[in-house]
Amino acid sequence: MTDELEQLYQTTYTAVVRFLYRKVWDAERAEDLAQEVFVRALTHRPEKPRAWVFAVAANLARDEARAAVRRKRHLTLLKADPVAQPTVEPAADVLVEHDERVASVQQALSTLTPRDREILLLWDAGLSYPEIATQTGLALGAVGTTLARARRRLVDAHDRQHTSEGNHAAHS
Amino acid sequence: MRHIPEDELHAYLDQGLSRSQCVEIESHLAACPSCQAARDGIAALRDRTTALLSKLAPPRAFPPEFESLRRRAASQVSARRRRAHLAAWAASLVAAVGLGWTASFLLRPHEPVARLAARQVATLPVSTRAAAPADDRLTRRDTTTIQPTRRRPAVKAVAAKSAIALPRVLPPPALELSSIDIPRSDVGFELDGMWRTMSWAGAQAEAGDQLPHIDGLPVVQVQVQTSEQGKQPLMVVAQQLASGEVIRTIEGPTSDVSHLLARRAMSDPMPTMTLGDSAPRDSVPSDSDHTDRTMAMQRGDRMLVITGALPSDSLLAMIRRLNAEMRSK
Repeated sequence: MTDELEQLYQTTYTAVVRFLYRKVWDAERAEDLAQEVFVRALTHRPEKPRAWVFAVAANLARDEARAAVRRKRHLTLLKADPVAQPTVEPAADVLVEHDERVASVQQALSTLTPRDREILLLWDAGLSYPEIATQTGLALGAVGTTLARARRRLVDAHDRQHTSEGNHAAHS
Repeated sequence: MRHIPEDELHAYLDQGLSRSQCVEIESHLAACPSCQAARDGIAALRDRTTALLSKLAPPRAFPPEFESLRRRAASQVSARRRRAHLAAWAASLVAAVGLGWTASFLLRPHEPVARLAARQVATLPVSTRAAAPADDRLTRRDTTTIQPTRRRPAVKAVAAKSAIALPRVLPPPALELSSIDIPRSDVGFELDGMWRTMSWAGAQAEAGDQLPHIDGLPVVQVQVQTSEQGKQPLMVVAQQLASGEVIRTIEGPTSDVSHLLARRAMSDPMPTMTLGDSAPRDSVPSDSDHTDRTMAMQRGDRMLVITGALPSDSLLAMIRRLNAEMRSK
């Protein structure tokens, strides 16, 4: 028998991992947490499982982030340390370039307010406007306004960074 | 004719509008080139955002078999039941401390008896500053005849039935409990040897119901030291109180736990740890209410320890909270 939860698992597991990854910045941890979310769903059997799953994921990530702040680990995670980048192996170049692109988006995302970021990530995870409104306590009509602002800010922050980085790169 | 505001275009493209709203927007769009341009711009912005965010994806994760999660969920349910025993163990330990407090609060006017109470149940070092308000409260309560605190029934239920039957007769210690003074070190809790830091879920999967912790407090960190085969591991679970202070519950072979505590005390130039000391001790004036307190309990060759920098208030709060939790069960 395939139950509703199993179907949800098949269709949203990746989205939940991605959603969590963008909060904890650790792929393995994101997967652990995502599995924990579904294990909890199995014991709780929520009425609206899809929204529930993301709500619990957000809570777990929040707990995780608090713990990380206490350990003051977030600084090293968010700031890519250029000294620590591997520079010897030729293949590392590709890796570094990839990392830099990722880091620049990560950096841009970090300039958003927590609420804007949350709503953008929920939208990107596939939640609908009503689902986002319910989960965040935002008025349904405000979801579009928030998303408009969040998108604009993300792209602006990213582009701004890139122009300054471009100048920097040209200089060196 | 009013143009369509930006946020409505976002909502429109995100399919976040009602059918009637969509119809309204579409009919306007059909006749308004400037709004069409705005729509295209926003569609491009949406695509940009999605493309940027797609870079922030972890390596492709392959979901484990759903069956394995089912099994985990099932085992968690049964583990929770079994864990209730351990929780009761930890709670009764704390409840016994609470008993010590209650007893010494009630009996404070009779100093010698109170000292005896402290000797028999637990000696919790209280800074003089912390002790003063407690005395005030007690005096007030004294004038209005001592009422048993609300905590009592729960404490009684948990610790020992004979606990506070008669106010003058001291409760026998429900548990072998001792309070240990370890100087606070600013470096935190440093562990020697091979330790693994695990996620809560991971540790649970490995140690199951053996994980020492206090239910209801968020877990900050789990550290496990595996010893020789066959021997149970030494586990340290850090949890956070609402106040932000971290307390640690340590469980493991007695020798390992006391070694851990001793080593920690030794890192201070003036070790004042007294393990298993049940002699009454005058409260030491400390410059901070946040001193490290450690409560230890031994059963067989296992030792359970709760340690952390706790102000006396938050220790009381923890006891109350645990008692309330026990009551609700």
